[in-house]
Amino acid sequence: MSRRAPASGIRRYVNAVNLGGLAIVVLSALPLYWMIASSFKGPGEISADPPSLVPKAATLGNYAEAFVRNGIGRYLLNSVLVASVSTAAVLGLSFFAGYALARTPLRGRGAIMTALLMLSVFPPIALVVPLFLLERQLGLLNSYAGLIVPYVALNLPFAIWIMRNYLVGVPRELEEAATVDGAGPLRTVLTVIAPLARPGLFTAGIFTFTATWSEFLLALTFNSEDGHRTVPVGIALFTSQYTVPYGTLFAGAMAATVPIGVLVMIFRRSIVSGMTSGAVKG
Amino acid sequence: MSRRRRARTGWLFASPALLAITAVTVFPVLFSVLLSFADVRLEYGGFRILSLTGDHYAAVLSSPEWRQALAFTFGFTAVTVLLELVLGTAAALVLERLGAARGWVLAVLLLPWALINVVAAQLWGYLYNGTYGGLTWLFTQILGHQPDILGQPASAMGAMVVVDVWKTTPFVAIVVLAGLMLIPGDVYEAAEIDGAGTWTTFWKVTLPQLRPIMAIAVLFRILQAFGIFDLPFVLTQGGPGTATESLAILGYKTLFQNLAIGRGAAVATTTAVIVITCCLLFLRVFKAQADEGGRA
Repeated sequence: MSRRAPASGIRRYVNAVNLGGLAIVVLSALPLYWMIASSFKGPGEISADPPSLVPKAATLGNYAEAFVRNGIGRYLLNSVLVASVSTAAVLGLSFFAGYALARTPLRGRGAIMTALLMLSVFPPIALVVPLFLLERQLGLLNSYAGLIVPYVALNLPFAIWIMRNYLVGVPRELEEAATVDGAGPLRTVLTVIAPLARPGLFTAGIFTFTATWSEFLLALTFNSEDGHRTVPVGIALFTSQYTVPYGTLFAGAMAATVPIGVLVMIFRRSIVSGMTSGAVKG
Repeated sequence: MSRRRRARTGWLFASPALLAITAVTVFPVLFSVLLSFADVRLEYGGFRILSLTGDHYAAVLSSPEWRQALAFTFGFTAVTVLLELVLGTAAALVLERLGAARGWVLAVLLLPWALINVVAAQLWGYLYNGTYGGLTWLFTQILGHQPDILGQPASAMGAMVVVDVWKTTPFVAIVVLAGLMLIPGDVYEAAEIDGAGTWTTFWKVTLPQLRPIMAIAVLFRILQAFGIFDLPFVLTQGGPGTATESLAILGYKTLFQNLAIGRGAAVATTTAVIVITCCLLFLRVFKAQADEGGRA
């Protein structure tokens, strides 16, 4: 595994790596391609035997059906709202908490960080029962707040973890200079630290957004009424009693996947670098 | 600024987040433990605790459903996490060495990870479909007869492992890749001077350096796999029979289908206790690595 492989081995070595890369692309993309292709197949072709690799008569009918008859647009709107508000709140709260844990002499910092790591992997099923009853009591079922509040709390630990580890690496001199200039702690943090923290905020943001965009268990149990359904619930409940309208289903799934796919493509580097600070220096 | 004032600023900045976490996770967990000893009646718009005498743990722990769900959840977690660790590490090693194509391969690899779980479950459900699924067709060509992938317990479990591995290997791969990028080049140079071959270098140099980050990736994966819900809920509904019923599915069915609140809370609490015990045991076993990884 030496980086300078002996010359005689170079060709075989390069081939193995490229074959590995090809395998990754094919295995990751083939099922996704199947979904894309199927979203353009008509009702006869979607259940054809043998299945067709390329749609023979490509149609946009599924998309029309998903948006007009199945109201996927409404679910998308609900998801965009819930995921964006949750992400914004998580970023605001985790930025300040991460700064406090990285830079101020808090007592019990180690214990707080350990508790956060534990909480970030707490099984949601253990929270569903009490939260469902509490939300029922408070009349929060089938409301946006009923999902946003738990999403914020559940995603905060990991986001704080990422922010803290990012901010530990930001040089201290800059904020000291601001303090000498007479800026208060809040102003220092907002004007000096926040701009420097942007990469950390991107990483925490994309992790929170994908997690809230995909969340299913709470969304299913708390917001099952049609008007407040999010995309994952809408897609899970697409199935009718006897048949699954796969064409329409995949058109809806595509509408839910394209935005997140674009985000991942744009921020792919941040995802890995955020992991570097989030997991290793953790 | 004095140390005391800085500490006060710290608490001021940290408390909104810590309060939110406490209110929505710590408090409900305690409430859930209380409920697991209670008889609860749902009423219009709310609920009432009738008594605190009902102990649901004995009933849960002795029920065959719970034991079956526990066995499935443990088996599923062990198999998927092991496969994901091996495949994720292989993918990370490939990615690290890829040249110009790395950015694009990484982006494609990340797409399954970013896919909504429910969408992944529906997509693979279509591929596994007994009459016109693409994979069913493929297996029919290979085997000579049409398999009922999701209809048989063993193949249904295998099918679910495949979907989970497809979906979450990217997570392990990016974590390991991040770890690989942090290994300083001079340790490789030292290994090369010592005349270590490719495999020796991997086992003796790369792997030990990766252990802390792998420990954290595995911890995350174990706990996530243990709470699996979306995939069996959509792909198999826990079936055939109860072959793919996870603890989370059992908890959901107990609570929302049987409306047994106290018993559902007991299922959830036992699941959480097992998860936290695993977490603590794991951290203990890998304490050296975790400490090493825990240094800021």
